[in-house]
Amino acid sequence: MLTDQMTPLERMAAYNKGGTVDRLLCIPSVGNGAARVIGAKISQFKNNGALIAKAQIEAYRLFKYDVVRIFTDLYVQAEAMGAKVIYPMDETAHLESPAIDNIADIDQLQPPDPYKDGQLPEFLKAMEITLAEVGKEVGVVGSITCPFTTASFLIGAEQLTKLMLRDPQTAHKLCRIALEANLTWAEAILDTGCGVTLSDPVASSTIISPRQFKEFAFPYLQKLIGYINSRGKSATLHICGKTNKIWQDMADTGAACLSLDNVIDMAAAKEAVGGRIRLTGNVDPSAVMLQGSVADVKQAVLDCVGKTFDSPKGYIVSSGCSLPTEVPFANIHAMLDTVRAIGYPVTNGKLAEVGAGL
Amino acid sequence: MVGGQKEEYFQQLSDAVVDMDEEKAAALAAAVIERGIDAFEAIDKGLSDGMARVGVLYEEEEYFIPELLLCAEAMYAGLEVLKPHLKTNGENKGKIVIGVIEGDTHDIGKNIVKMMLETTGYQLIDLGRDVPPQKFVAAAKAEQAQMIAMATLMSTTMEGMAQVIRLLEAESIRDLFKVIVGGGPVSAAFARRIGADGYAANATEAVRVAKELL
Repeated sequence: MLTDQMTPLERMAAYNKGGTVDRLLCIPSVGNGAARVIGAKISQFKNNGALIAKAQIEAYRLFKYDVVRIFTDLYVQAEAMGAKVIYPMDETAHLESPAIDNIADIDQLQPPDPYKDGQLPEFLKAMEITLAEVGKEVGVVGSITCPFTTASFLIGAEQLTKLMLRDPQTAHKLCRIALEANLTWAEAILDTGCGVTLSDPVASSTIISPRQFKEFAFPYLQKLIGYINSRGKSATLHICGKTNKIWQDMADTGAACLSLDNVIDMAAAKEAVGGRIRLTGNVDPSAVMLQGSVADVKQAVLDCVGKTFDSPKGYIVSSGCSLPTEVPFANIHAMLDTVRAIGYPVTNGKLAEVGAGL
Repeated sequence: MVGGQKEEYFQQLSDAVVDMDEEKAAALAAAVIERGIDAFEAIDKGLSDGMARVGVLYEEEEYFIPELLLCAEAMYAGLEVLKPHLKTNGENKGKIVIGVIEGDTHDIGKNIVKMMLETTGYQLIDLGRDVPPQKFVAAAKAEQAQMIAMATLMSTTMEGMAQVIRLLEAESIRDLFKVIVGGGPVSAAFARRIGADGYAANATEAVRVAKELL
């Protein structure tokens, strides 16, 4: 059993400077799975920042990954603006209905007050607790659901996508409202001392065209990330699904790291944008992490590392998207342990050696 | 009716769908009826043809989900005008019960699969989203459907699909229905593991799979 020689913060700082580290950074994107670590039901997280913090802290202590993310689902901001969210007893929340049904009601939409509205204050509390508890050894980040995706939760994804073609000005107006909401949320997160991580799944090329991304998602991402950078913080941008044709634009947003889905070939991403921006990905969260064996996880990590470890701007091992709640602990341990076994500096010889031990 | 003229209307209907032109599709459909052209033929060679072309554009990544949705609106606008004039129900290729499995409310994908199957000539019973496994089984029985189609975007809900198949087996009616599955985290391997008859990665594939199975 290999143990880490550095804290995540030491490792991150050294890696960023091109210095010596004990292993590659590894972030398995544990979300509601943290509930399993403390034996809680997911619905108990609702309006309970202290419990979210406890779960995330314990999950970090169990697996020792490199960033703690305060995250339960994508709807926290939209809910604070009036969207209806369903909270099943022990599954991840999902959107019941958008904040407005009729676009004529657009003027009802107001950016939420992070210190008052919805569950936002509880999430801030979770960030503060986590930071106080483990912030000296590991980075803690809050999660922002980016403007285009948040806009889709305000009016509904179908309506937003139709508006883009039929009434682009109104679609832009919604994205601007969502951006304002994001900016106040980002400010509140950064004021706690935490960093941020960004998700924009609906802006995926699996849903909208690269041209639509450029028009309706990109400008707002650029403004949001510009603000985050102006506060001296960097941002990782995750977009699910196909993104090949928007990698350059994603890099142009000012993000420091692109988080890529498991449908992406990391070698192709390295080739296309690895010289411009750090990459993270992309072990399949469902077929490998949830349904696969420990051996499957090891093989998938070796494949990802083999393709991406020499990416010029750096590489972080992670899952292609947030892990499903019921991913076996053994598979999360296997991801970290494989990264530990590979060690640093990564060489093809070392990869072959670890692979041979499978 | 001169054949050439008829074909011209079909072509224009098809184009109206591809061009996302709802008003034009409805107006053309009305003109088709006025001229005594067969409504079924207009759906088949006009609207359905348009949606088939849309499917190709989607696969070629010329069209994305927003375009698909607006093409569907144009298709439905034409369909609404033509449907009351169908002499029969047309050729009934089979009845399919479709829905998003319990625990998931993402239904754009399901809606697109439904629409593509409908335009291909299947009769769809849409159970909506967040559908409990038992309800799929009950609806398939009540409707005497030939196929059950299930979708999910969330890995957390995939086991519900397996449960539908187990329920069918428990009632010894598994052989009465073909079961197909799809959606973000679903894979061909998962479909095989739970004993589904087919897997489709997207809407156009769903049509191919349905045609193969039914």
